[in-house]
Amino acid sequence: MNAENPFIPYLATLLSTADLTPDTKFLTVELDDPDVRDRFDYKPGQFAILSAFGLGEAPFCLVSVSYRGRQLEFAVRRIGTVTNALHELEPGAKVGVRGPFGNYFSLEQYKGSNIIIIGGGIGMAPLRPVINFILDHRADYGDLLIINGARTPQDLVFAPEFATWAQAPGSRLELTVDRGDADWTGREALVPDVVKELKPSAENAIAITCGPPIMIRFTLIRLKELGFTDSQIVTTLEMKMKCGLGKCARCNVGDKYICQDGPVFTLEQISKFMEQF
Amino acid sequence: MTQIISRKDLLSWLERLIGERIVIAPARSNGMVLFQRASRAEDIVLDFDNTALSPKESFLPLSEALFTVDKENGNIKLMPTTVDEETVFFGIRPCDARGMALIDAPLLAAPADALYQQHRARTTLIGLACSQAGPECFCTSMGIAPDDPSNVDIMLTKVDDSYIVQAITEKGKALLPSDLIAESEVMPPPAPSLQAVLTEGIVEVMPGVFEAPYWSRLADRCLHCNICAYVCPTCYCFDIRDYIDEGSIERVRSWESCQSPGFTRLAGGYDPRSTKGARLRQRFYHKLSYFPEHFGLIGCVGCGRCVRYCPVNIDIREVISDIQKLGAQSEC
Repeated sequence: MNAENPFIPYLATLLSTADLTPDTKFLTVELDDPDVRDRFDYKPGQFAILSAFGLGEAPFCLVSVSYRGRQLEFAVRRIGTVTNALHELEPGAKVGVRGPFGNYFSLEQYKGSNIIIIGGGIGMAPLRPVINFILDHRADYGDLLIINGARTPQDLVFAPEFATWAQAPGSRLELTVDRGDADWTGREALVPDVVKELKPSAENAIAITCGPPIMIRFTLIRLKELGFTDSQIVTTLEMKMKCGLGKCARCNVGDKYICQDGPVFTLEQISKFMEQF
Repeated sequence: MTQIISRKDLLSWLERLIGERIVIAPARSNGMVLFQRASRAEDIVLDFDNTALSPKESFLPLSEALFTVDKENGNIKLMPTTVDEETVFFGIRPCDARGMALIDAPLLAAPADALYQQHRARTTLIGLACSQAGPECFCTSMGIAPDDPSNVDIMLTKVDDSYIVQAITEKGKALLPSDLIAESEVMPPPAPSLQAVLTEGIVEVMPGVFEAPYWSRLADRCLHCNICAYVCPTCYCFDIRDYIDEGSIERVRSWESCQSPGFTRLAGGYDPRSTKGARLRQRFYHKLSYFPEHFGLIGCVGCGRCVRYCPVNIDIREVISDIQKLGAQSEC
């Protein structure tokens, strides 16, 4: 982070863009200043604020893992002013980057546990670096079960990586969609129903989930039925953010600032929030 | 012995300061007393309860560019806004000085908000003790005295036709006009007495009444006009947006309020705080629960502005007293 003036973004260059789904692009960004590039370390779960100069800035989770390379990767769903502007940019365009912000998944603490990743739609974005981190440190973790749902097969965000995830040792990938198409031979079921069907054991396990609020609500119910305690369930929260610094008070929920105290929380922590969301 | 300055010499000093730097001071405008840039000392109002608007605008402007984007030969350069001019802020009341100290807590926490920090560092605060209380004042209930010299650089207390002068900080001492100040035996007058609002224990009571129907019932008459946040010396929520005008780009920070519909609405439409009741509750919880939990002090200074200007009479003094009763009931 730019400690001298944290509102001034680092300048960066958009290196490449690729379509992940009809409304989501994969953006690869490189910070222009080599010193800043070397300093910009982050962990799975952290986010950065991207600027499309003239149209604004918005927070996005970093979907890359920092030890693999110095390029920053984002999965950006076209949904508002800034994301629309980012989708229109061509490689070579200048963007701004502030961050990294927020806390991260306690991957050190999960060592030795079986990991269940449950993601819906663009909610897979913060989970991708967790999956890749676990696959890169395979011996440190137990079984990896990935349940990834989307509205349609086209909306599954990280399809190019599915083969890698499914074939890695000790890992299993279960895909599901709300509505299949002519080519779809997989599941047509809601994510919480897939959790119920697969019955992952709560013993020595951590469940990490992210997705639309309605998916999370029912997924939590299913996980609790399977015996998962609140401290075994981890999620990452989305909230309107502006500054990323705990100053603008936009993301204040109860006594927490999602941008600083979060975005990653265990259900145990969330259940202590007074405000529901 | 105390140091005093006569009213006439105070105005001469202010005239001198106006020649040297920016002076912001209370002045009459459209029937209100407001902090304004003074161009002559005679326009400065010395006798007033308090200004209609809080002083925060001088440090956290209503709208201010954080930086502009300089595009030269295809190269982008970000030019941060800087505050270069020295300012004297004259006539701040003890409640409002505490208000600035409260805003400092989040904005100066590391990493500091560089622009706000510059506004604060370039400004010398001259406080004016209150010799009378306004009808809505309740600063003493928030632990502030009407003559509290904390949080200012120089404190002035009116005695007859003179002012007792206290330099509180080194910055204040450096500004004092030694040629205009005299020694005196005069004693400060007793501070005015104020209505009391029972704030003791309020921070502890708040968590227990979060789900009370009270909040939505109270909010039912709220027009979400945001005047409470606008006049409040401790509200500091802000928004950040970009503007393009004929190719020049600026990133602007502007006041925002948790009472605005859509304050928490995410891209895509989901809004975790979509009801008026939840938003009004957020205002009171931020001031009476979350802020004190984070920073140790209640986020209200008892200036009474929100009480005076709320068009539907939502009165924080009544809210505090209602919450105390609700809390007592739920304990039984």
